[in-house]
Amino acid sequence: MENAWIIPLFPLLSFLFLIFFGKRLKEASAYIGILLSLASFVYSLLVLFERFTSPTHKAESVWLTIGDVQLTAGFEVNQLNALMLVIVSLVSFLVHTYSKGYMHGDERFHVYYAYLGLFTFAMLGLVLSPNLLQTYIFWELVGLGSFLLIGFYFYKEEAKKAAKKAFIMTRIGDVGLLIGMILLFWQVGSFEYDEIFAAVEAGAVSSTMITLTAILIFIGAVGKSGQFPLHTWLPDAMEGPTPVSALIHAATMVAAGVYLVASLFPLFTASETALMTVAIIGAFTAIFAASIGLVQKDIKRVLAYSTVSQLGYMMLALGSAGYVAGVFHLMTHAFFKALLFLAAGSVIHAVHTQDIEKMGGLWKKLRVTGPLFLIGTLAISGVPLFSGFFSKDEILIAAWAHGNTVLFWLAVIAAFFTAFYMFRLFFMVFSGESRSDMKHVKESPSVMTVPMMVLAILAVVAGYVNTPWFGTFLGDWLTEGNPALGHGHIEGPSWIMIVATVVSLLGIFLAWLIYSKRSLSRDWLGASTLYTILYNKYYIDELYELTVLKVTKGLSLILRFIETFIVEGIVKGVSGAVSGLGHLGSRFQSGQIQRYGAVAFVGLAILIVVFAVTGGYLK
Amino acid sequence: MNFAYLSILVFSPLLGIIALLFVPKAKESVIKTVGFLATLPALVLSLMAYFQYRSGSSLERLDEMVNWIQFGNPNRLGELFSIKYELGVDGFSLIMLVLTAILSTLAAIASMYIKKEWKGYFMLFLLLEVGMLGVFAAENLILFFIFFEITLIPTFFLIGKWGYFEKEKAAFSFLIYNGLGSAVLLIVIMVLFARTGTSNIEALTSILAADSSSLVLSEGGKMGLLIAMLIAFGVKLPIFPLHSWMVRVHVQASPSVVMLHAGILLKIGAYGIIRFGMGIFPEQFQDLAVLIAVLGVVNLLYGAFLALVQTDFKMVLAYSSISHMGIVLIGLGALNEAGIQGAIFQVVSHGLIAALLFFLVGVFYERLQTSNIPNLGGLAKGMPITAGFLLAGAMASLGMPGMSGFVSEFMAFLGLFREMPVLAAVGALGIILTAVYLLRAVLGITYGKAHREFAGITDLRKAEWVPALVLLGIIVLIGVYPSVLTEPLTSTLETIMLGIGG
Repeated sequence: MENAWIIPLFPLLSFLFLIFFGKRLKEASAYIGILLSLASFVYSLLVLFERFTSPTHKAESVWLTIGDVQLTAGFEVNQLNALMLVIVSLVSFLVHTYSKGYMHGDERFHVYYAYLGLFTFAMLGLVLSPNLLQTYIFWELVGLGSFLLIGFYFYKEEAKKAAKKAFIMTRIGDVGLLIGMILLFWQVGSFEYDEIFAAVEAGAVSSTMITLTAILIFIGAVGKSGQFPLHTWLPDAMEGPTPVSALIHAATMVAAGVYLVASLFPLFTASETALMTVAIIGAFTAIFAASIGLVQKDIKRVLAYSTVSQLGYMMLALGSAGYVAGVFHLMTHAFFKALLFLAAGSVIHAVHTQDIEKMGGLWKKLRVTGPLFLIGTLAISGVPLFSGFFSKDEILIAAWAHGNTVLFWLAVIAAFFTAFYMFRLFFMVFSGESRSDMKHVKESPSVMTVPMMVLAILAVVAGYVNTPWFGTFLGDWLTEGNPALGHGHIEGPSWIMIVATVVSLLGIFLAWLIYSKRSLSRDWLGASTLYTILYNKYYIDELYELTVLKVTKGLSLILRFIETFIVEGIVKGVSGAVSGLGHLGSRFQSGQIQRYGAVAFVGLAILIVVFAVTGGYLK
Repeated sequence: MNFAYLSILVFSPLLGIIALLFVPKAKESVIKTVGFLATLPALVLSLMAYFQYRSGSSLERLDEMVNWIQFGNPNRLGELFSIKYELGVDGFSLIMLVLTAILSTLAAIASMYIKKEWKGYFMLFLLLEVGMLGVFAAENLILFFIFFEITLIPTFFLIGKWGYFEKEKAAFSFLIYNGLGSAVLLIVIMVLFARTGTSNIEALTSILAADSSSLVLSEGGKMGLLIAMLIAFGVKLPIFPLHSWMVRVHVQASPSVVMLHAGILLKIGAYGIIRFGMGIFPEQFQDLAVLIAVLGVVNLLYGAFLALVQTDFKMVLAYSSISHMGIVLIGLGALNEAGIQGAIFQVVSHGLIAALLFFLVGVFYERLQTSNIPNLGGLAKGMPITAGFLLAGAMASLGMPGMSGFVSEFMAFLGLFREMPVLAAVGALGIILTAVYLLRAVLGITYGKAHREFAGITDLRKAEWVPALVLLGIIVLIGVYPSVLTEPLTSTLETIMLGIGG
């Protein structure tokens, strides 16, 4: 555990090596990336096992000195970090492997692997950070990795726009985080998590300040985790290669917002307002994004909105003081959503389209991908015995136990939506007959299917680390020795579990009726206004276009007006004055000796008078 | 150390000028080689001084003092006005010397794009380097002023002769503005000299610090001098609304000249404000702190908003320089350790980043004859490595952690948030805007559909790798390991903090 700092260095090495020498290696670059990410994973596993028995380890050294203040950098291995290390390095390793098949034939193959390495480095660095400043540093770097990978197909106009949008939208959030972090620093005198918590507990920070900083920091999380109202970049980010969507925009980076709130949990619990904000934003995002997901036609966009919605669930959990529930769902979601994205990638790889209207009947053709996709779908829909069932249940209980009744029911409806749109997706893609001529549909190579199988197994079994039936190992371990994080398990009425099950089965059943059995019209929403609004994602993008963008642009134009007319006017004034003076001076240069003589005489006379009056010396 | 170390350092480029006198006008490659080689002694000497200082040797050993000019009436006043030739460095000016030497060498490499009259170009170029080095080594206001003027004249010709279409206009507006700035500065220096009888910076600082009862200068007089000084250096920095000359120069001068102009010459403004404004008039500076911070935020946002609507990449970078100099003012306005250190970091960091970006402008202007963003696009296809460096430079500029821009921006804001949180929050908007305009410009150039064929267009050549890689390397080094700057700056900062009583 003392050497946990090595873990992020493997992918960093991969990045540096591939960016400099990858061109010569061509597709052999993949082996370097895969091997180094495997090394990270193995090391992370060792650290996790060690963490079961030994206490939290923390090591730091001075990074930046400002007067008497010394800002440190280092690493910390506590329960949450250790768990995140394993999740991140595992998914990264699987995505590295999968990409070898998916990216085969791309001429910038080595660049892709280099970027993956950079991202993995940043993400692992993020989860090891012992203080807010270092978290922020890696927080920005994961954003950079995400930006580079979204824009990987740089020659596509959409990819360019999406990359730019992702960077800017998350940066809006990041500024919130930066401000919150700096304000907190001047209150506490440190960026260290421990010292922040100690100061908060000791009451050294006023409650207004706690609420303010917590909410500002939460804005950062909102940006990164695609929560309303900064969610619009995440669906667009699907322009990146699909394995990237699995790694960054499903399993790891977008969960960083949730992770951040979880890391600062004691700060948030110190302010009921801040918690409530987190819960409301989370629950609203959950249902809001799920409703959009109901009608989208692009396989990756459906999954993207589902990610937004699931992240909302995690925020709801944390906002309802359900620390364990939030982290638990983060973990299960990482597995089943990565699985779903990789399976979607496998489908896209086979049929070369993302439009689900054009798919159908793929169950028979993709004999491996189909069942794997189904497992992921079952898990996310919260069907009993799959991992998503347990973690979602935990969240619902947390929301109920915290007294957020309205939010609880919103989450239940969102769960219904989730089951419905996920099975809509499944039936549209896999059941029935193909809706366009699909020839040469081939199952993906095993380098792609094996990573999916690993994730599928995890999507099933990961839930059993924390169940009301067999014990709440995860919860107990996570909260061990840290009462500020709440209890390992929150007791809730047992009807919640039944409601959740019924709701999810109902959603599946409805989707089956409409999209597989066709008992109900597929155009159930038809061309209604509601459909148009949902399909256009509530016109949020257009709204931003009309407000924020227009205002910014307008301001710029006004300032340009000032620049052209006022500032340049000053310039004209200055240069006019200079040349005017010049002209004035030139008039004296008339060439008339008499005038020069007169001037010289007058000057001499003045000098003599002055000297006579002052007594010969100027003082 | 040894005799006249700093003098040799400062005047070493003169060797190159002398050597160039004997080279025939048409021998392009010889001239370029000599010009490049002539920048090396200063580079080696300044780096040696830096590493020796890092390893613990004192900087005072470098001080030089020779009696130079004396005048006055000894019978009446009993003392002479004497101007001494005094060179010396502290941590801050040492860093600036190193920065100047590095950028001069790299700009000499970038001067390979100069198409005509190489001999005259390099003679002026090297004279400019003497001026810049001298500015940072002078321990005496009058000597400082002389070197300051030495930078003006070569720059005027370098812009006016080797620039783009409107180069003459740009050169003249450069001269008028900077000439006026110099005039104001000269008045300030002369008043100080006449009142105190010395122009040595240290002596001035201690005389004015001891002058609490306003015997030497009245309170209003001090404030007036400080404001005059801020205007003089504000032209250079530039502070809104004194900036329009600088935009023209950025757009019209050749890239190698802009590398030095944006990298070093603008920084003389910041150096002057910190070293003389803050150093000599600490109390008055405190009274103006809010104003300076406000000006900083105005600069930051004004530059950013205007950069947002430019179509010429050079204009974007020009306004971005204005915006980034706002961060220097923000840090100075904060007047605490974090802020001032951030400001100094920003001076160095922006010098490097601006040099990198303008060098890259030169790289693709050389190949495509345009820097207009709508005419470019998809450049990453034909020139992937150049595009990569450009993106890296933009990331550094918008404050990506791991690069120098982040450290300076972070510290400047850290400082300001302590003193004026609301103003700082407004300024923080600039962080978002910076990302917006830089991505808009850089992605417009390198991403998207290519507007033209890239057949026959070569990516970075060997000689072009050097400036790009060296600059990016230093930018990352400072970003990852900021102690390379913080340690030499410790004593300078302590002196400043002592002055403002913080």
